[in-house]
This record gives sequence, C-alpha cells and structure tokens, in this order.
Amino acid sequence: MRIRLLHTEGFRVTAIFVAIFAASAAALAVSVLVITDVAFRDQIVQFANADIAAVRDGYNTEGVEEAREVIGQRMAEPGASDFFLLQRNGIRLAGNLAPMPPRTGILTVPGARPRHAILGVAAMLAPGLYVFSGSDLYRANLARRQILRTLIWIFAAALVLATIAGSLVSRSFLGRTDMIAQTCRAIMNGDLKTRIPVRGTQDELDRLSQTINAMLDRIAALMENVRQVTNDIAHDLRTPVTHLRHRLERARGQAAPADYDKALEAAILASDDILALFAALLRIAQIEGGARRAGFAPVDLAELLRQLRDMLGPVADDAQHRLVLLVPQSTVIRGDRELLVQLFSNLIENAIVHTPEGTRIVVDLKEEKDSAIVSISDNGPGVPQEEHEKLFRRFYRQEASRTRPGYGLGLSLAAAITELHGGRHSHHYRPPPRFVGAGILCLVAKKLTVGTPQMTP
Amino acid sequence: MKILLIEDDSETSGHVSHALTAAGHDVERAADGRLALSRALSGEYAALIMDRMLPGLDGLSVTKQLRAQGNETPILLITTMTGIDDRVEGLEGGADDYLVKPFAFAELLARVHAMVRRADISERAAVTRLVIADLQMDLIARTVHRGGEAIDLQAQEFRLLEYLVRNTGRAVTRSMLLEHVWKLNFDPRTNIVETHVSRLRSKLARGHAPELIHTIRGTGYIFRAD
Repeated sequence: MRIRLLHTEGFRVTAIFVAIFAASAAALAVSVLVITDVAFRDQIVQFANADIAAVRDGYNTEGVEEAREVIGQRMAEPGASDFFLLQRNGIRLAGNLAPMPPRTGILTVPGARPRHAILGVAAMLAPGLYVFSGSDLYRANLARRQILRTLIWIFAAALVLATIAGSLVSRSFLGRTDMIAQTCRAIMNGDLKTRIPVRGTQDELDRLSQTINAMLDRIAALMENVRQVTNDIAHDLRTPVTHLRHRLERARGQAAPADYDKALEAAILASDDILALFAALLRIAQIEGGARRAGFAPVDLAELLRQLRDMLGPVADDAQHRLVLLVPQSTVIRGDRELLVQLFSNLIENAIVHTPEGTRIVVDLKEEKDSAIVSISDNGPGVPQEEHEKLFRRFYRQEASRTRPGYGLGLSLAAAITELHGGRHSHHYRPPPRFVGAGILCLVAKKLTVGTPQMTP
Repeated sequence: MKILLIEDDSETSGHVSHALTAAGHDVERAADGRLALSRALSGEYAALIMDRMLPGLDGLSVTKQLRAQGNETPILLITTMTGIDDRVEGLEGGADDYLVKPFAFAELLARVHAMVRRADISERAAVTRLVIADLQMDLIARTVHRGGEAIDLQAQEFRLLEYLVRNTGRAVTRSMLLEHVWKLNFDPRTNIVETHVSRLRSKLARGHAPELIHTIRGTGYIFRAD
C-alpha cells in the first residue's frame, strides 16, 4: 500500500500541486525580502540626506561651530540617523564615529560589531571638511531574518498539509478502485452476485461503478439464460436419445430381417428428430442474435397471410378445423419474409395441432395508428392463465400436449421472431361472446404504408 | 454420371461417395478447395457436390471462381446447419442447390438429379406446354386437361403439378416441394405437402387411370405415367 501509493494518480496530482505551491511560495518570499530590504535602505538614506542637508545649512550660515551644534542636536533627537561624523583632514570634529577616508555619496562602512554595518551618506562641506550620516543595518537584517523565518514555517506547514491531504485523497481513491478490482476478482472466481458498493455521491467513480454494475447485471441475466437453456437441452435431449437407444437395443435381439429394417427405420427417424431439435435451437439462437435484421425488406403482411391461408387452409380442413382470415387489402411492414412466414405458420399450426376438432381459428390483421397487429385466436379450450408466461419458454410443454410430437420450441421461436421485428407477443383470453378460447396476440412492427381496410372473409 | 465430391471430412465423404456409387454414379473425391477448383475446371463432371467449408479455398469461393471462368457445371453446396442466410448467399454465388447437413441420402440423390436435369440445355428452352400420357398442361393459359377433360386446379396445385411433371420419372422430396412450390425453407409441423398432394391426386384421378403421382415411402413423390 505504502509503495503503491507513490504510483497512484491521486499521489501524482498531489505532488504536482505541492511543487507548484512551493515554487510560488518561494517566489513570494524572495520578492517580500527584496522589497522590505529596499524599503529599509531607502528610509536610512532619506534620514541621512535630511541630516546632511541640516548640517550643510548650519555650516553655510554660521560655519563649523554651527555644523557641530546641529550634529549634537540631531544625535539627541529620536527618528534621526544613528551615527554622525564631521571630520577635517582626517580629524573628527563631531559625531560618534571614527574618522574615515574622505568619500562622498551613499556608502556602507563597517560598524563596531560584526553584522552591525552602517549604511549612510557622505558629503563634502568644504575642501577637507567632510560630513557623514548613517544608520545601523542591524535592524533591517533582523526584520529580514524574521520575515524569512515566518515564511519558512508557513512553507513547511503548507507542504506537510498538502502532502497529508494528497495522501488521503489518493488513499480514498485507491480504496475505491481497490473495491472495484476486488469485486471483479470475486466475479472471476464465480461469485456473480457481487456488486460494487455505490456511495450515492454521483462522482466519476460512482458513475463508473454503476455502469459496471449494470453491465454485470446484464451479463448475469445472459448467463442465467444460457444456463437455463443448457439445462433444458441436457434434460430434454435425454428423452429422445434414450428412446433411440432402446429401439437399437430391441433391434439387436431381433432375428427377422423385416423387424430389423423396421427398427433401423425407426432409429433413423428418431435421430432426425434429435437433429431437428438442434436445428430449431440454433435457429432461435441466430434470430435472438439479431443478425437477420440486416436483411429486412418491405413485406406485405396481408398478402403473406392470404398465401398462408391457401397453404394451411386445406390442412385445417383435413383436421376438421376452420381457418378464417380477416385482413385488409394491403399492410406493408419492414421485415424478413421467410421468418414471418415461419412465425405465422407456426402459430396457425399450433392452433390446428393443439385444439380439438371443430375449432375455429381466426387470423386477424389490423392497423392501429402506426402499428400492424396480427392476432391468431381460436375458440378452443385455451391455456390456463398461470401458464401464459411459461408458454414462450424453450422446451415448455403443457401437461396435456406432452404426449404429442414436438419439443416445446415453437413458441420460443415465435417470440424470437416477433421481438426481432420490434413487436410484442402475449397470450391472453379473448373475452366472450365471439371467442371463448385462447389467442396468441402478435404485435408486429410499424407499418410502412397505409392500406385500405377492406375485410376479406 | 461422373460426379466430383469435394468434402474434407473423410467419414462424410466416404458415406456420401458410397451412396452415390450405389445409385450408379461414377464418383471422384477431393478434400481441398484449390485442388477441386483446378479439377472442376476440366469440365468433365456432370455435377459437383461441395462442402461450404473447405481447407484451401471455401466452397462458395470455388463456386464463384468457376462461374467467373464460364464453367457451368451444376453445383450442390452442402453446409452445416447454421446460418439461414448462407442459403441465399450460396445460390447468389452461383450454386444450383443448397443442402443442409445432416441430410438423407435419398434427398441428396433427388436434388442432384433434379439439378442436372435443369442444367440440360434442351430442358432450358422456354416450354409452354407439358404433355405426359393423357395429361396436358398449358403453362401460359394455366389450364390442365386429362383425357380431354378440363381439371380445375388452384394456383398452388398448378405449381405443384408443374414441378412434379417437369421432374417426371425422378423422385422429388418433401423439402424440394416445400422449397419450389411454397418457397418454404424450413420444415413445417403440419402435413402441408401430404394434404396438397392428396387433393391434387384426387382431382387428377377423378374418372381417370392410371395413378400419376406415386409415393416413395420416407422420401417423397414421383410423377410417372406407366
């Protein structure tokens, strides 16, 4: 953790901020020091110039004695310079400094003690007669050191604070990314129910966590579906394969060639059934994958249903059922013709196969707003309410139809095709009086053009 | 007839080859797409039976290249039972027929025969009338007469009869009928074919002999006037 901290984004950001802060604080400190130093020196020089002007004034009006007098007065006054010197030819006439080499202008002379250098101004009153006034630089130095010390303390404190804050920020960031990593590891290890805790602050990490959680939910749902299907396949395939095995076992014991042929024939049919089951499963998977949407083209549903009526009507008649068609002249949608034929023939066949003789099957195409609605209903016994949801599941078969051929994939396929066309599917009881039986209702896609609603019985 | 069978799975190839030979055909086998292409270009085969997935060059590409080079040998593509769009793609690529694994050998034979017949130049000429024994079909007026007596057929019954008559003497399978008469490429659960064949039969048989549409058990039907 301690080492990893150095590699985190949070820490890097903190370090950059600390560095920028330190640089600006240092620049500030330097400018404060320079400005105060200049101000101190200016003040000293101003005092000195005033003193010298006064001394020169005295000397010009009343001579050397007056100049000495002025110096004496000034030395006793508060707010004036610290040091004075009036010298003639290297001999001190007044003041509290030792004689110095004759110079003029602003100058610094060594003081009595180290670090007590004197800054001042020297001027010539007459040839050989020099005056000097200045002040101890010690106070200026002292102030500078004071300011410097304060700045260093502030600087150090800020540095420490910034580092602590940065570490805390990156530690909390790290903690949360660690949590995400931990959740992902748990899921990799098979615990698909784990989710990343969300704080509810709606910050970036929260949003990331929510997105990952949503993704995990979706994956879990898909895996559940796959698991369900795998279970179903494993379970439902055992029956036909077992039957096949029994047939072959029985055939082995038979001596007559005719029986042998019959058993082989039956075995071939049984294996065809199993292969058909796989084909149906693959087809459903392919349709659910949505790849076929690329091949959508305009399809006239009314025309398609009329063709289906011609195709399946005689089949219904032979099974003592009546197939009735209620469709407008033309209703065009975008879709996959082949799949739509399969969808509706599947539903009509269902009604033919699963209802008793004398049942009426009604195929009804309506246009409602921008939708085309196809419903296929019959006045057979219907399906109990509690089984409606299960009807569209793979391999689901009603108790009553378990003895009939089929694997319970027809409605799953129908559901997949309906969804591919953006439709909804449902199963419901139609209210009396017209149909007391059950109906499969299919809402199929948006229509492309408005057809003239003309009922053809 | 001489058939080139191109299939990389040696077991499948063995079974198919055995079935074709048993039906009296001369079968040559290849397992690689490139090799198959160069042999098929010789033009000595009456038909090609080719797996869609092949090492070297896939079946669809072989088909396209053969057609691009003007080779018109009838091709039956075989595929595993996956994509539904494969069929359309295969036919658009120049294949004459498409068969999904697994298939019955009877289905394969019936399709190869029908495919080869269709490819015969003499058969391609525009036909307007079909006459078999005492049955006459006028393909333009859409009328059918048997023994001079008009028979009233529905549109799909007419298409069904036309397909059977055009394949006179050759077996046609249920799935071939579903494909050509009803444009269905999946197997419905109800007896669509049986129902319509039986209706057509009774309409043709009314007061007439002999039976023209014969059932081949487990395979399909055959139109025969003998």
